[in-house]
Amino acid sequence: MTTIDGLLERRRIVFCVGSGGVGKTTTAAALAVESARRGRKTAVLTVDPAPRLKDALGLDTLDARPRRVPLGVGVHLDAVLLDVRRTFDEVVRGLAATPEQARAVLENRLYQNLSGTLAGTAEYTAVEIVFRLAEEGGYDLLVVDTPPARHVVDFLDAPRRLLALLDSRAFAILKDPTVILPASGSRLAHLVLSAVLRGLERFTGLELVREVGDFVRAIEALTGALRARVTAADALLRADGTALVLVTAPEPRLVDENTRLTRALAGLGLPVGGIIVNRMLPRALFAGGTPPPPDGLAPALVARLRRAHAELATLAARQEAVLAPLVEGTAAPVLAEVPLLPGDLGSLADLEAIARHLFPAPAAAPDSAGRVGR
Amino acid sequence: MSNWTSSKLTLRASGSYDRDVPARLPLAAQRLVIVTGKGGVGKSAVTAALARAVAGAGRRVLAVEVTRGGLGALLGAGTLGPAPTVVAPRLQATALEPEEALGDFVQGILRFRMLARRLLESTSFQVLAAAAPGLPELLVLHRLLGWVEERRLGRRVYDLVVVDAPASGHSLPLLAAPRTLGTLTRFGPVAQVLARIQALLTDPSRTLVCLVTTPEELAVRETIELHRELAGPLGLPVAPPIVNALPPRRFGRRDEAALARLEATGGAHAYLVAARYQLERRRRALGQLTALRRALHEPAVSLPFLFAGPEAPGGVARLAADLAAAAGLTA
Repeated sequence: MTTIDGLLERRRIVFCVGSGGVGKTTTAAALAVESARRGRKTAVLTVDPAPRLKDALGLDTLDARPRRVPLGVGVHLDAVLLDVRRTFDEVVRGLAATPEQARAVLENRLYQNLSGTLAGTAEYTAVEIVFRLAEEGGYDLLVVDTPPARHVVDFLDAPRRLLALLDSRAFAILKDPTVILPASGSRLAHLVLSAVLRGLERFTGLELVREVGDFVRAIEALTGALRARVTAADALLRADGTALVLVTAPEPRLVDENTRLTRALAGLGLPVGGIIVNRMLPRALFAGGTPPPPDGLAPALVARLRRAHAELATLAARQEAVLAPLVEGTAAPVLAEVPLLPGDLGSLADLEAIARHLFPAPAAAPDSAGRVGR
Repeated sequence: MSNWTSSKLTLRASGSYDRDVPARLPLAAQRLVIVTGKGGVGKSAVTAALARAVAGAGRRVLAVEVTRGGLGALLGAGTLGPAPTVVAPRLQATALEPEEALGDFVQGILRFRMLARRLLESTSFQVLAAAAPGLPELLVLHRLLGWVEERRLGRRVYDLVVVDAPASGHSLPLLAAPRTLGTLTRFGPVAQVLARIQALLTDPSRTLVCLVTTPEELAVRETIELHRELAGPLGLPVAPPIVNALPPRRFGRRDEAALARLEATGGAHAYLVAARYQLERRRRALGQLTALRRALHEPAVSLPFLFAGPEAPGGVARLAADLAAAAGLTA
């Protein structure tokens, strides 16, 4: 991936990843708007849109059905709310051969706890929605907004982690935790392990060992179907048509966060293909140093104007200083810079304004098929 | 918290350019302050500033970050380790890793260091430990309780433990852990520890939860939700919200009119663009401040946007001075 146009025209799935508060959701929506305008059938899957963006995208309910967002004559975009808090229950129900089989899993107390916390089942449910839309939605491009940095690794790694859990050896261990110790023959090791497990049980009030065993036996019935499904979802994340874009902002805290995130993602075999830097102050505004003031203003107002300008110049210098390490740590090209726009963005007009910064070269004029360019 | 309401009037009456009259933060006698909020709102800077403000007023403070981040740098101390280290007079700081807390717990049971290490390194054990509901959260809280209660020679080691807690999404399970676990464990030594933690967390004379936000729509919305959850069902003492990075007021009403006239005559001078930008940011931020006050029925404590960033020299000190004023602390 070397250009941002290539993203929209040659990829099938684009994941926007990055820390909280850098404008991932808005960026994902702006990319999707532009893709739809270029005539590709596009859907944006978004995690936690601000109310204004939610309204703009017509996402009023909490289900995973695509909503159609009209963008002009003959052009529309589909929007899907990706609810990462959805339970794994739906996946379990879909895979179970009988209602009893599903119930045995769903009613297990440990499952109820696990499905929220362990092995990324919640995240997997979100990946499952992406997978389903990619397989069945008939879209040219899916733009996926992801949960903030730390969770995105869980999110993208969910299929693999779930597979690892379904691995029969891990199951064997959960059924009989004493297999954990390498020297499992040793009497001492067994004593030690049961002491620790007793400690854990006492600490949590759960009959942990027994309940894990119950859970494993209940879910084992589903593993064949689940494994096939999860493997397919994982393959989709690694396909050539899938790209990861890191969305970031010129803030010092993000240098470390981005470096850690890109490393973790690379560790999963999911390299970041490019960076979009949000919230840059326009360089041109400060290029000339301190300009002479406009004519005919009261000296007091000129002083205040000079101060306001100087403050923003300070902020711009801070951003500039942070930009190089920000990009260096991630070893991916900067695809676009989007200026800091005041306040909260969210309307379709805002998204189009952002798209103009993402894609500075003008697209084609309206063509005979009625597609709208800019 | 009804005594905050009186400051609403002064907030509106404030006519000078830079002062937003702060509400008071009850920090003088607190033993545990938990700072949380949406990711990226400046929790660490506010934690560092709170710690400095309280230490500056003569109390012994331990600043804790849960999982390593930028707190050490903001306190001028580099990366923080698992053991508290002195970073300034009366101010110590440390980083708390849930995994290390689990290690301590297992070693406490095992006594054999090598076996404990082997066990902790095993993935399957990690799976088991993760399956135990609220265990990591409980271990963190247990460690915090230990610091709050720690005494040496009959004297408290720390007057105040201030915690740079994980972002909202993770703070809720953390703060709800004693309650969640309490329903599972009713008897025994663990139940007693839980009861002690819960008593500390819900005691308004000892604990204060500070929610930090920026004056932006998403962060404000999350703050309102979190405030309701923590003060409501969880019954925790929650401070007036701290609004960080409030764009300063730079222009009066007459200035604005003069600028509008210049813009109308086609002026695109760099000064005008910068002024418009600052005005617009301030206007939107005040809108969010109002939304926050209406939703929570109390005014926020606001901290200024620092153009050079909180990490620049004097940044944390500036925030600390404002917080000390809001808390009525004197050096």
